[in-house]
Amino acid sequence: MQKSRLGWALALVAFGLLGLVWIAFSKQPANSLSADSNLTEAAIAGYLAPQFTLKNTFGQEVSLADYRGRPVVLNFWASWCPPCRAEIPHFQDASTKYNGQAVVLGVDQGEPLSVVGDFGAAFGVTYPLLLDSDNSVSRDYGVVALPKTVFIDSDGVIRELFTGIVNRAVLQDRIEKLLSEG
Amino acid sequence: MFPSLNIGGLVLPTAGLVYILGAWLVLSVIERAANALDLDAESTYGLAAISLAASFIGARILFVIFHWSAFQQNLIGIVWPLTSGYHFGGGLFFGALAGILYGRAKQLPLSATLDALAPGLLVASIVVSLADFLGGPGYGIETSIPWGIDVFGIQRHPVQFYEIVIALAGLLVWWWGFKHRRQEGQMFLMTLIIYATGRLIVDAFRANSPLTESGYHIVQIGALSVVLVSGYLLSRMMTQSDEHEVAELS
Repeated sequence: MQKSRLGWALALVAFGLLGLVWIAFSKQPANSLSADSNLTEAAIAGYLAPQFTLKNTFGQEVSLADYRGRPVVLNFWASWCPPCRAEIPHFQDASTKYNGQAVVLGVDQGEPLSVVGDFGAAFGVTYPLLLDSDNSVSRDYGVVALPKTVFIDSDGVIRELFTGIVNRAVLQDRIEKLLSEG
Repeated sequence: MFPSLNIGGLVLPTAGLVYILGAWLVLSVIERAANALDLDAESTYGLAAISLAASFIGARILFVIFHWSAFQQNLIGIVWPLTSGYHFGGGLFFGALAGILYGRAKQLPLSATLDALAPGLLVASIVVSLADFLGGPGYGIETSIPWGIDVFGIQRHPVQFYEIVIALAGLLVWWWGFKHRRQEGQMFLMTLIIYATGRLIVDAFRANSPLTESGYHIVQIGALSVVLVSGYLLSRMMTQSDEHEVAELS
């Protein structure tokens, strides 16, 4: 019996040592978010957010790259979409609360400037509403249903994508996580 | 990767569908395992179902508590939408608590019940890996190995498939343990050791694994701890069993 116990003990110690060596061997550079240094653009969490330049409701061009260094919340919406309308106040509140620290961008899917502008004014939206007139950005982000919200960190990497309404708490939670990661 | 399924005008998230089908499969597997182990299959199934429901509700409740300021002016938000907003620790705690309370109320034997739950947990891990592959954020590090998969133009380790292989290996070990079982709880510990060993190895190939401040993989540290604790418990169980057999023979 002593032999059997000794055998088990030796096996566990050997496994523990091998495990520690493997963990040390697999170690990544300190403070690295990912083992990947060659990220490509893709509408999937962990990848670089596809770049775009769109016009806002004032006719100015806005690029995603302009906001590198700050977390970005990208909300795809349309005025005819009831769930989108329901969550607009949450985005407006978040935009006000995190003004200067994080950015909220609303990307309207294929509607004319007049509709988007009137909608923004009626709902008191102060964050940029961008016009994806030919739906090219929506295609790049794989938007097949509205609303869709994409959380992008300060390095331009997509951290999460949500299809459907994002409630106020989730929005706040995700933005604060992104801000805390700096 | 197929994050959503388009049926006519209907868009369904594939990960969600996989989870719904997976929950049914997990419960069925547990029921069959309980039958095979001559346990009260109905109660074991009930334990798994109640734990699952409690973890879902508990994860939501804790998330709501931690974010109450955001919910207090929008009470409907507590129950809708449910697609996001869960606390992992809360789910784990309430799921385990409900399982323990239900198991005690039904007087289910702990070790034998864990043996019956083990294949269900392995199937659950297959479901999570599959959902992760179809629409989730997990992906492997770059590689040039022939079985690497093309993910948006870059050849990567198919980590989710590695995880599925680990779980299948765990199921095989469970089956072997079932044929050669000597002690209750043995199959649970054996499958736990196989699964945790697999995660210890495979997590090294994950590109976006959670890391400590110094860059160590958190999952690997947890997996090694699980292997060592389970190995110790299994060693005690097996040596006691050997001693008992020797005592009986003499």
